[in-house]
Amino acid sequence: METPSGDIADLIGRIALGERAAFRVLYERTSAKLFGVTLRILKNRAEAEEALQEIYVKVWRRADRYVPGTTSPISWLVAVARNHCLDILRARRPVADDIDVALEIPDAAPDPEASALAGGERARIEACLAELDAARAEAVRGAYLDGFSYEELANRHGVPLNTMRTWLRRSLLRLRECLTR
Amino acid sequence: MTSDEDIGEEPGGRTLVAEYVLGLLDTPTNERVRRAIEDDPRLQREEAFWRARFSALDNEFAEETPPAHVGSGVEARLFGEDRPAGFWPTLWNSLPLWRGLAAGALAVAVVAAGISLTRMTPSTPTELAVALVAALEEEGSDVRFLALYDPEDGMLRLTGLSGTPGTDEDFELWAIEEDGQPVSLGIVEAGSHNMVRMPPAASAEWGEGSVLAITLEPEGGSPTGQPTGPLMARGVATPI
Repeated sequence: METPSGDIADLIGRIALGERAAFRVLYERTSAKLFGVTLRILKNRAEAEEALQEIYVKVWRRADRYVPGTTSPISWLVAVARNHCLDILRARRPVADDIDVALEIPDAAPDPEASALAGGERARIEACLAELDAARAEAVRGAYLDGFSYEELANRHGVPLNTMRTWLRRSLLRLRECLTR
Repeated sequence: MTSDEDIGEEPGGRTLVAEYVLGLLDTPTNERVRRAIEDDPRLQREEAFWRARFSALDNEFAEETPPAHVGSGVEARLFGEDRPAGFWPTLWNSLPLWRGLAAGALAVAVVAAGISLTRMTPSTPTELAVALVAALEEEGSDVRFLALYDPEDGMLRLTGLSGTPGTDEDFELWAIEEDGQPVSLGIVEAGSHNMVRMPPAASAEWGEGSVLAITLEPEGGSPTGQPTGPLMARGVATPI
């Protein structure tokens, strides 16, 4: 199932030109991975299958938005799938009466080159997650891999909603500090 | 700066981009952050940073081969192929299904298109000719057209509100009557105003409750004279 990412990037480029054969090959090579994403986040087989179809329709229509070199092509596809699932879940969730806090960037903006390194970054993020308290690291992973909301995370960890928000936000600041160290 | 004590104050907006990437924000905040990122290269770098770092966890998504019908479903949606035999006739004949389209969308579409309805009103109410409107849309598709039929000149005016066909593809317009037989009204331009004369085959039956539909077809239109591509939008003609 492993396909060199150069091949996938090439397929996406050909799909952007409307090449159906390339789209079929891409589906064959990547649908198991993206189905894994929709199953894990939506946690419902029928919904995961429906979402997967919608995701590949998006991939066909948005292939021209993939910029080779900035992101690994598999990461881009997983992001399209993950974002689609998160949109589905978000639409079902209530709107939090959160204050309109202004966006800030913690400190010096990260090196843009660093974003191309996803493949070799696994050890790095694991090491930085390990620096966090185990339950907080688990909450961060649950948000990314399972698409859990603050409310679901609070319930799973048995803490009040606001505590979970504070946990997670502080964990993200520490994670960022570790990842840019 | 590695302990909670050092970060005593609330993180505030400093983690919003990371929370956005994780999918933790509610709909309005998510939209606000998405727009802010679009406008600010520094926030774009911050987003790329988090996406790249978290994507190192992607191999924890366990691969599972989807059932075959998912792949053929994608093909059918995009290219209108590999669909089960008899799919189109069943769909086209199901007028009750087509009429399930929310009528509320009509008013919204009329306002959005900024079209004067007063001009469209027939001069004599007793005339059989009635002005009709249809909002064409379909769940899962971004293609939206607004159609207005003026009985005074027998022309259908069609405005593309959103959606574009791919390269080597065209949108084709169809009228469907009670008998369920689609009659081609030709290619229509996306994002543009189209004037379509109702052909005799369509105009005899054409009226309230008729369905207009748009399919995605090969460049130049369906080679068979019947729809071959996926349904992109549809709407029921309603008197105004």
